[in-house]
Amino acid sequence: MSATEQPVALILRVALLAVAIVFFQIGVVSEVPLFGVNIDLSPLLVAFVGLLCGSLVGALSGFAVGLLVDLALVQTLGVTSLLFTLIGYWAGRLRELRDPQAALTPLLVGAGASAASLVGYSLIEFMLGVDAPVSLELLRQIVLGVVVNSVVALPVWALVRRVLESVLPEDPRRRRRRRAYTTGGLSPLSRA
Amino acid sequence: MYDKTARRRRALLALLVVLSLLLLTAYFGEAPSGRLHSVQRDFLTVVSPIQDGANKALKPVRDLFGWVGDTFHAKSQRNQLRKQVDKLRRELVAQQAEKRIYGQLIAIYHLDQLGVNSYHPVTATVVGKSPNIWYSTVTIDKGEGAGVRVNDPVVNGEGLIGKVTQVASDGAQVDLITDSSMGVSARIGSSRATGIVQPKVGAPNDLLLQYLPANTAVSPGEYVVTSGTISTADDSLYPPGIPIGQVTSINEESAYRSVNVHPIANLHNLDVVQVLTSGRGARASHLAGLAASLPPGKVGGGGEQLASTETGG
Repeated sequence: MSATEQPVALILRVALLAVAIVFFQIGVVSEVPLFGVNIDLSPLLVAFVGLLCGSLVGALSGFAVGLLVDLALVQTLGVTSLLFTLIGYWAGRLRELRDPQAALTPLLVGAGASAASLVGYSLIEFMLGVDAPVSLELLRQIVLGVVVNSVVALPVWALVRRVLESVLPEDPRRRRRRRAYTTGGLSPLSRA
Repeated sequence: MYDKTARRRRALLALLVVLSLLLLTAYFGEAPSGRLHSVQRDFLTVVSPIQDGANKALKPVRDLFGWVGDTFHAKSQRNQLRKQVDKLRRELVAQQAEKRIYGQLIAIYHLDQLGVNSYHPVTATVVGKSPNIWYSTVTIDKGEGAGVRVNDPVVNGEGLIGKVTQVASDGAQVDLITDSSMGVSARIGSSRATGIVQPKVGAPNDLLLQYLPANTAVSPGEYVVTSGTISTADDSLYPPGIPIGQVTSINEESAYRSVNVHPIANLHNLDVVQVLTSGRGARASHLAGLAASLPPGKVGGGGEQLASTETGG
């Protein structure tokens, strides 16, 4: 794949993934409550795109997915876009600054994204004047939502990575790390 | 180079955030017929068929998830419902018992309206029953303290139950009308012929009305009530007109006629009874009252009957 084709393929795949996941969310996941709450795949998708592709793509895809969600669910336009833009950007920056490699990173990122999405959405709705009491029930819903989303974070991560991996831009740091552990370049054993 | 990338990244973030805020503000501020709302509606119009198709295509998946969820939900619901059923069953049993007692109390109240009130009835609860199948005696929770004395008649809302045979300070034993020692002067409801009701030998749940005049006209289904007289002298009087049972069949005998009687009161299911505690002094005045209340021309017959009982005692 040429250097000009790669970003286009990435955008296309992100777009397809976003549409598929948003419709799957609306058509299936939203109708199957788990412990009284619904799984929300869209913040996970945005966070994982950011974690794989960086802050720029993360923010852009967050905005687009948010807009799609707001349009499809006939919600206040801009609320989800704003939240998902920040979530995508944050996940992308996490990758750019720390590049965490732990196996549980996607789970923690997913939990963080879900928490940010749920808390942020509640805050914005309150600021917009939605007449709902701040109650323990709301807190319970948020905590349960984060837990339930964390449960599905790893499978969603595996799916997103599988779809995007082949069109991801080459990262010099990862290339170096890969070479070090596959060719033995940095292995103390190879020097011995 | 790095600064340029960072600036571009921050600029894009700022742009997207501002765009989102603008969208939010514009959408929130405009009327439902505004441009953004109409865009949203148009989008929905376009997307609806896709959503519908996706919805139908994904229905099996949804059903699968739903089935799994429903199974868990049904399981927890089943346990919950089992607990609820147990609770309701206990409540039902308690309420049935209360209803039965209530029914008996209402019946007693109706009996009171028929004149039993003048016998100073003491309402008592049955606290013990004879453990054998005959149920010929029961124990009640009222005794001497409540004015209950030996030989006081005992009734419930259905009719005559028996009489008090032993009294303690706060309890008494009642012999039921099916007990072999009992004998109650009774008459057929439609006639004035009297006889003695006693337990039927070999059929502990049935009674026999004996010593009826041979020419007494009687048919099955007729009611047998107390006549106001008794068979032995020491017993207290049973008030007249208290239902005892219903005629089931007629036995032809030589000099007297006897009829089989089935008790009206359910003697196996007694909860609340009334002891008629009218004293002996009161009995005499009551008899006088009864004699006075009889219709003209029949006073003699009734008086004879009452007098004969007293004489017999």
